[in-house]
Amino acid sequence: MTDDTTSTPHEEDNTTDFGFSRVNRGDKAGMVRGVFDSVAGRYDLMNDLMSGGIHRIWKRFTIELSAVRPGQTVLDIAGGTGDLAAKFSRLVGPEGQVILADINAAMLTVGRDRLIDKGATGNVQVVQADAQHLPFDDNSIDCITMVFGLRNVTDKAMALRSMLRVLRPGGRLLVLEFSKPTSALLGKIYDQYSFQILPAMGRLIAQDAESYRYLAESIRQHPDQETLLEMIETAGFANCRYHNMTGGVVALHQGFKA
Amino acid sequence: MTQHDPALLSAALAGVERALNEAIALSPTSHDELAGLAGTVLGVEVTTLDLTVYLDIISGTEARLMAHCELPTAAFVRGTVEDFASLAASQDPAAVLINSGIELEGNSASLIALQQVISRMDIDWEAPLVATLGDVMGHQIAETLRSIFRWGESARASLRRQVSEFVLEEARLTPPKAELEYFFDAVQSLSMQVDRVHNKLEKLRAKVEQTRGQS
Repeated sequence: MTDDTTSTPHEEDNTTDFGFSRVNRGDKAGMVRGVFDSVAGRYDLMNDLMSGGIHRIWKRFTIELSAVRPGQTVLDIAGGTGDLAAKFSRLVGPEGQVILADINAAMLTVGRDRLIDKGATGNVQVVQADAQHLPFDDNSIDCITMVFGLRNVTDKAMALRSMLRVLRPGGRLLVLEFSKPTSALLGKIYDQYSFQILPAMGRLIAQDAESYRYLAESIRQHPDQETLLEMIETAGFANCRYHNMTGGVVALHQGFKA
Repeated sequence: MTQHDPALLSAALAGVERALNEAIALSPTSHDELAGLAGTVLGVEVTTLDLTVYLDIISGTEARLMAHCELPTAAFVRGTVEDFASLAASQDPAAVLINSGIELEGNSASLIALQQVISRMDIDWEAPLVATLGDVMGHQIAETLRSIFRWGESARASLRRQVSEFVLEEARLTPPKAELEYFFDAVQSLSMQVDRVHNKLEKLRAKVEQTRGQS
């Protein structure tokens, strides 16, 4: 899935991370947008190649844990190319609604076209939206998913509060994101893969090594499992927990609106 | 937080689910029966593997396997691998459900109905071959495979019969069934006779003790 805008803010000097670099907060949104504009067309193909197809398994478990039922409203933030939205569209049925939201227009265009090709049209809305300022009514959504998107958000705490606002009481938030491997050996292998093989694959397939280098760097800058759990709890979610997958390479965090 | 990596189970379930849906697609006669079970969710816990799987029958042509499910289950069964193997192979699943170590919560009717649908599935293995290779080539390969399977079945039955004959008649490693049954009957008869003699002796002893008491 895709981007929103930028990553960890540093209020004291008005800068934030862009991968391992530090840039002005105001410049960051455009830079991240540039990354995803560059990779949008081949995003799913690259995801398959980079993860060996495992990202489909991670997303499958995310859908299982969502426990979405017919008639519900699901918001997939940073939903990019729409693979989760297509599955949710079937689960909620004609009485339900799926909102595919992303800040990046190029990714949304790819996602909308793919949803049409898959026949997921009647109950799906496509919305260009910033996760920090969700343009939806309070207490209007049953389930929010954000898959590989939170690390690109400038102010994650603000985004989490925005998600809490639009969720109905009892509604569920699921955040699937790269995290910290639980084994040191796996961590070393993962580092080698991320910084050597990943950019090379990006150069070969998407002719864009820099964008994939940014993706690897932004993953390292993202909070680890416990830190993100704390952030979700601090935002006001209840019954929060996480599931490590593939040795902690990714983690699926879950929280409910009380 | 969780003990097992959910990705591993999800990957396994994705593979099984795909195979299951392929099998359903190749068995058109099962579609109506499965449609009758649409909306049914069954839970299975295999205690020996510490594994819980849910089967959601979405429609007559599609089923979903899940490791996590919050939908209400029509039936939830719990047992060992051996229990489930005997249930799957049984001609009388109701009897197995009652007599085995399987614990059942909910309505057993949906579980038995599903087992019967599965046992009646008539999968048309020729269809994907014909679709891929064309009518002539696909049919020829399917016929060849059927011949191989038939030969395999026949060879297995023949081998079983010959091994049985060798063990019973040539090597005399075990007695024939009839001989064994005759022996068990004789043992049972002897046991009953011994019981009767024992009872008679007890009666006689009681009489003797009574006579001594009077004198």
